Parts: sequence; structure tokens; C-alpha cells
Amino acid sequence: MLNINFPKIDKKTFNDLELSLAEEKIKINIRGKNKDFFTKVGKITSIILPTEANTSSSNEKFNALWLSPDEWIIYFDGKDTNKVINNLFNEISKLNFGAITDISDHWVCINIKGRKTFDLLSSSSPFNFNSFKKSKNNVAQTVLNHTDVIIHHKEVDDVNLFVRRSFAEDLWLWINDSARFL
Amino acid sequence: MFIINCPYCGERDQSEFTAGGEAHIERPKQPTELSDDEWAEFLFMRKNIKGVQFERWNHAHGCRKWFNVVRDTTNDKIHAVYKMGEKPSID
Repeated sequence: MLNINFPKIDKKTFNDLELSLAEEKIKINIRGKNKDFFTKVGKITSIILPTEANTSSSNEKFNALWLSPDEWIIYFDGKDTNKVINNLFNEISKLNFGAITDISDHWVCINIKGRKTFDLLSSSSPFNFNSFKKSKNNVAQTVLNHTDVIIHHKEVDDVNLFVRRSFAEDLWLWINDSARFL
Repeated sequence: MFIINCPYCGERDQSEFTAGGEAHIERPKQPTELSDDEWAEFLFMRKNIKGVQFERWNHAHGCRKWFNVVRDTTNDKIHAVYKMGEKPSID
């Protein structure tokens, strides 16, 4: 992992909302579509990649988010990160079964939880959260305050919001500002 | 503003997409055998139909996949959405 500075994000609590930086997480972008690719990912991470659109799958350690029919993000906390990435890279990228890219430093994870989570997200997103918020493990790639985001509904009223590093501070400031008025 | 039913992600607002122009334009098999006019016709000339038009769209802020849309340009009504390589369900 590169020695980069994450944006200065302190935990904030508002009425029915709690915002925090959920770092340092390891995020891996994986792409592939053949049977060997799925087998290798399953063997290394013990996770079945979700093939249904806008969903995710998780185990005790890994979370796999569907991004498109042949693309996923796997994210997790952990110390033996190099081992996982190297295993995936050696077993998949090197053998041309797919592509593994470490994007830990490209994306920042912001955790938002509380009863007004979806009120906050709805206030500046074109995405319809009505069915999304009803069940956990849903994933949405959309726009929030003109910024591309990936939203993982991991628990009830508890989402992990992934945003590109260079947009993170701007979005964080907007989230804080918006949360004050809910 | 209108809703587009992305064949991969489902219904999303049009602001998540970018339009990619006319669909089903085939690149000439032997470009070197074309005259300048024929090459310019392929490269630059596009229909701009008032009515039902076949278009390419990209879900730029979502799955980033390209697909085709049959859209009425007069009222933005979408008649069909289908993946690249597939045939449209209407003529």
C-alpha cells in the first residue's frame, strides 16, 4: 500500500446520523468471466462472487460487491493483505484468468449510519433508494452531489460509501453540511 | 429527464448515462477502397431523426457498459433497450 494521506475525516454525530472514515480498508478490483476465474477467487477468499446485479456477498472477512457483469470490488480489514493480493494476482492475473488491481489508495470508504442515512443520500442523488433500503447487501453505483460513489448497504441503516480519493474531502464536507439540515 | 432501464443495473435516472450517438453503424471492411466522400459519410454523417431512433448509450455513472436504446426523440419515450450484439425487439 502506498503511503498516502487519507482525507482529514473525524467522526461526527448528528441527530440520528453518525459519520466516520472507515479506513484503512483494503480494496481490490477484480475482473473476469470464465469458470476458472470464479473457482480461483472462491478458493482464495472463500467467497462466492455475486452474479445478480446490484448485490453483494460477505463472509467473516471479505465483502464482494457487484459492479458489472464481469467486475467486482472485494474489500476487507486485515493485516495479511499482501498475502491475499499476491495470491489473487499470482493465481488469476498472471495466468490470464482475469485482472486483479489493488485500489486501496484510489477509493476512500466513509461509513454512514443512523435512521436518517437514506434521507441524507436521497438529498442529492438521482438514485431511487425506496427498494434499496429495504434489504441489506444491496449495492448501488450512482452519483452523490455530482460525485461517483459506490454504496454498500451492509446493515440496516448502515452503509459504506466508497468515493474516489480526490473527491473524498469535497464529498465529506457536503455530507457534513447536508446532515446539519436533516 | 427520463428513466432508462439499463440492461445490467435496472432503472436509473438519465443523468447517470451518456449518449453515444446513432447505433448500428458498421465500419467499412476495406476503408482503403473507399472514396473520400464515402469515408466522410461513414465517419461524420449521422441521422438526426425526429421520431424513433436507434441509439447507443453508456451507463457512465453505473456499470459503465454500453448498450442500445430505441428512443422517440420527440417525447423521449423509450421503446426498447437491448445489449450490444443483440437484435432490437422492434423494427
